[in-house]
Amino acid sequence: MIENTNTNAKDEAAQRLEAMQREQGPLLEVQHLKVDFTDDNGHDVHAVRDASFNVYPGQWVAIVGESGSGKSTSAMAVLGLLPGTGHVVGGSIKLEGQEISGLKGKEYDQLRGSKMGLVPQDPMSNLNPVWRIGTQVKEALVANHMDIAHEKRSKLAKALAGDEVNVKSEDDETFIGSEERPALLAAAKQALTGIGMSGKKLDNAMEFFSQEWTAGSETRWRVADDLIKAGVNDDKAWQIAKEHVTGSNMNDRIAGLLDEAGLPDAATRARQYPHEFSGGMRQRALIAIGLACRPDLLIADEPTSALDVTVQKRILDHLQTLTDSLGTAVLFITHDLGLAAERAQHIVVMYKGQVVESGPSLEVLQHPMHPYTKRLVAAAPSLASQRIISAKEHGENADALLEHKVKGEQTLEKSEHIITVEHLTREFKLPRKKEMFKAVDDVSFSVKRGTTLAIVGESGSGKSTVANMVLRLLEPTSGKVFYEGKNIADFGKAELLDFRRHVQPVFQNPYGSLDPMYSIYRSIEEPLRIHHIGDRKSRAKRVRELLDMVELPETVMSRYPNELSGGQRQRIAIARAMALDPDVIICDEAVSALDVLVQDQVLHLLNDLQAERGLSYLFITHDLAVVRQIADEVVVMQHGRLVEHATTDEVFDHPQQQYTRDLLDAIPGGKLKLGLD
Amino acid sequence: MGKYLLRRILQMIPVVLGTTLLVYALVFALPGDPVKAMFGDKPVNQAVAAQIRAEYNLDKPFIIQYLLFLKNALTLDFGNTFAGQPVIDEIGRAFPVTIRLALMAFVFEAVFGVLFGIISGINKGRWGDTVILIISLLLISVPTFVTGFIMQYLIGVKWRLLPVTAGNDPGFLDLLMPAIVLGSVSMAYIIRLTRGEISSNMNEDYVRTARAKGMGRRQVFVRHVLRNSLIPVVTYLGQDLGALMGGAMISETIFNVHGIGYLTYQSILKGESNMVVSIVTLLTLIFVVTNLIVDLLYAALDPRIRYA
Repeated sequence: MIENTNTNAKDEAAQRLEAMQREQGPLLEVQHLKVDFTDDNGHDVHAVRDASFNVYPGQWVAIVGESGSGKSTSAMAVLGLLPGTGHVVGGSIKLEGQEISGLKGKEYDQLRGSKMGLVPQDPMSNLNPVWRIGTQVKEALVANHMDIAHEKRSKLAKALAGDEVNVKSEDDETFIGSEERPALLAAAKQALTGIGMSGKKLDNAMEFFSQEWTAGSETRWRVADDLIKAGVNDDKAWQIAKEHVTGSNMNDRIAGLLDEAGLPDAATRARQYPHEFSGGMRQRALIAIGLACRPDLLIADEPTSALDVTVQKRILDHLQTLTDSLGTAVLFITHDLGLAAERAQHIVVMYKGQVVESGPSLEVLQHPMHPYTKRLVAAAPSLASQRIISAKEHGENADALLEHKVKGEQTLEKSEHIITVEHLTREFKLPRKKEMFKAVDDVSFSVKRGTTLAIVGESGSGKSTVANMVLRLLEPTSGKVFYEGKNIADFGKAELLDFRRHVQPVFQNPYGSLDPMYSIYRSIEEPLRIHHIGDRKSRAKRVRELLDMVELPETVMSRYPNELSGGQRQRIAIARAMALDPDVIICDEAVSALDVLVQDQVLHLLNDLQAERGLSYLFITHDLAVVRQIADEVVVMQHGRLVEHATTDEVFDHPQQQYTRDLLDAIPGGKLKLGLD
Repeated sequence: MGKYLLRRILQMIPVVLGTTLLVYALVFALPGDPVKAMFGDKPVNQAVAAQIRAEYNLDKPFIIQYLLFLKNALTLDFGNTFAGQPVIDEIGRAFPVTIRLALMAFVFEAVFGVLFGIISGINKGRWGDTVILIISLLLISVPTFVTGFIMQYLIGVKWRLLPVTAGNDPGFLDLLMPAIVLGSVSMAYIIRLTRGEISSNMNEDYVRTARAKGMGRRQVFVRHVLRNSLIPVVTYLGQDLGALMGGAMISETIFNVHGIGYLTYQSILKGESNMVVSIVTLLTLIFVVTNLIVDLLYAALDPRIRYA
């Protein structure tokens, strides 16, 4: 069941759209696609074995699957941009009924940009650092000869300004120029006064116009339409539009495109370089590039998975509005089923290079047929409804857990709070600025023994800085951190070593936190060696135990980090953290870089370990969906301040702060219900 | 920016002082007495020798000699050679020849280094790449004087395509072979640098994004692969310009080019401390200035780098 928020009118519109789509036939038709890569030994590796799916005009279709399922490869095959040795070995790809999979280089170039656009995955690496943002948008226009057409039409329109002759064009592509915009607004004001509008009403109308009429983005037709809607008569409206909307120059158009993609102050921004942009802003620039030449099909390859949840939601909302208004079809690639279900009308599930399931979004979500889809539905972090209960699975009483009577704990004198943070503040000096930047501002909380406290916030909220201070990797400007009731700042060398032994970190990037020159065995053994625990033989035994604990085979001991997957590496990092039998593990975005299924496994592992050993976790993440699965208490941080602190249930059911509600809303598919028990 | 420039220019002062002091000390410590050497086979006339020593300040302690040299150098008076000619004149004669040689070597290594680097980078792993890599490895591992003598023998003596030696007031053709020998090692390095940059930049995500915009293969290569790959190459080239002037000694000696390197070599043999230190000071200045230009160029080429 879905919450019935849709009005009947919307349903009707959806039906009409469907009928139109059926009538027109698919925009993109992929049938029995097979893609191979050739490895170093000349053997073929089958990346896509058999993929068939359709995308209808104006439709959002999501391809869902884990990494390595062939979803991105299929999309790149459609674009004709397979990396390395990849090549299409079978099947067909039809765009508007025309076979494109065998096209030659030049012919394919003509399709890209103008017929098919791309919004790539990682905004950090997809813009060339040495060219200005505007230049990179312009390249898209130039490559598809939109610049020449644009200038020509502008010139013609200028020559005929105010004339009765219509400038014929397929679409209305005469945009407002930045220079003529003031005159246009003045004329509009005059016209409105002419029809007797005044006072507040006039102000409101003008306010609306100045917001809507962006240079380089709004067209003559839209201006006339807006005027008519405001009450100006048709002839007058068209006369104003023809006289004052005579076409923009290239820079206006570039700024207009960036503005459409939701980039504020676009004209200035266009002159900046990528490194001056945040991740979200870069992704907006990439959306502007992808849509610059008005393609019929936009391929969005995990367009927001590298971004914060709240930014993710804003960007996807904007992309959806934009593609809807342009009538662009979107092939949306994601690993998050919840996100797919929320955004797309149709879901295609891929597994090991094959399409295993395909159907309308809700259908797939509520009645998954294939076992793999069932697993995906169960694992989708955005869809999980509660904390994972490990204790139950182990036949223990969950209540016992809550009372902290955990196995291996002989506490009588030990304090209830294992970590306590009081008024923690950290300031940084910014280059060329006098005032200090407060990364963490008066934050206090405590972690109860045997429980999980999650710190949630967007990047830049100061949550990782808190983690570093709790680990004593960073000195606080003021405030104190207590471990077992003792101030960690007072620890001498021996005490600090002991503290390091009991408080272990697991960091975000499983690629970066393992030394590539160390074998897995050496990586896990290292902490034991540093703390002089056991001899060579007992250490080897311990490493085996630890590997067993994180459910990895002993054979990985002799391997090196680059030979393991991301999930396996994160398990190794956890095993290493567990080597010294710590009391506290500080997970700094420990699962953020992982695939959903792997993420699910790691979260379960952490939960099991907590139940078995009474561990306490300080869990730092930007993803509230994960928090629901693992945390007992939640601390929400924004701009370095603690804005909300409550139990997980309370935060999810009765969020007190607007910011927390925004974070909750940003969880994709949060309002969808599953057909899974 | 202005502050940065000023700081960099001020930094040059200790660098120049330090190098001149070091070189002065080294020449001072050279075994043998230059004054005695001037008498050749004849018996040394102690009175004349003392007079010469006094004239050239050779009778004074080392540090006084150095300070006197510095004082004169500030007024652009670098003293005279033992033969009585002003040092500045000798340098003035030799320097243009070296500049010509270094510039020719520079153009040679830049053009062919980048060209072969591109060919190699695009065809990574294929036979063309392998051949270029082997040749570049040979050029790096074989000492310059060996390549120099081999070329001199084959091209100059055996096939008589180019003059064997350059001699006085050399022209373009006279300097061609010395320039190629001089630039060959750097060319090999540039080939390797360009190749590495090109092949790694071709796999960048933004290159794919550019292709997805509808840009053609060639256009994407020039604007996104080549433009980015040339940043480290240009900085390497800039630094190499200074190194070419200072490093011309072997090439100039083999081909008898009367440039700075040749002059330095002769002056060291004769123990002409004034001459040696003057040349080294000049080369140090060139080095420091080209380095500064390279750093500024780097900032101009890569918008991510800004100096303050």
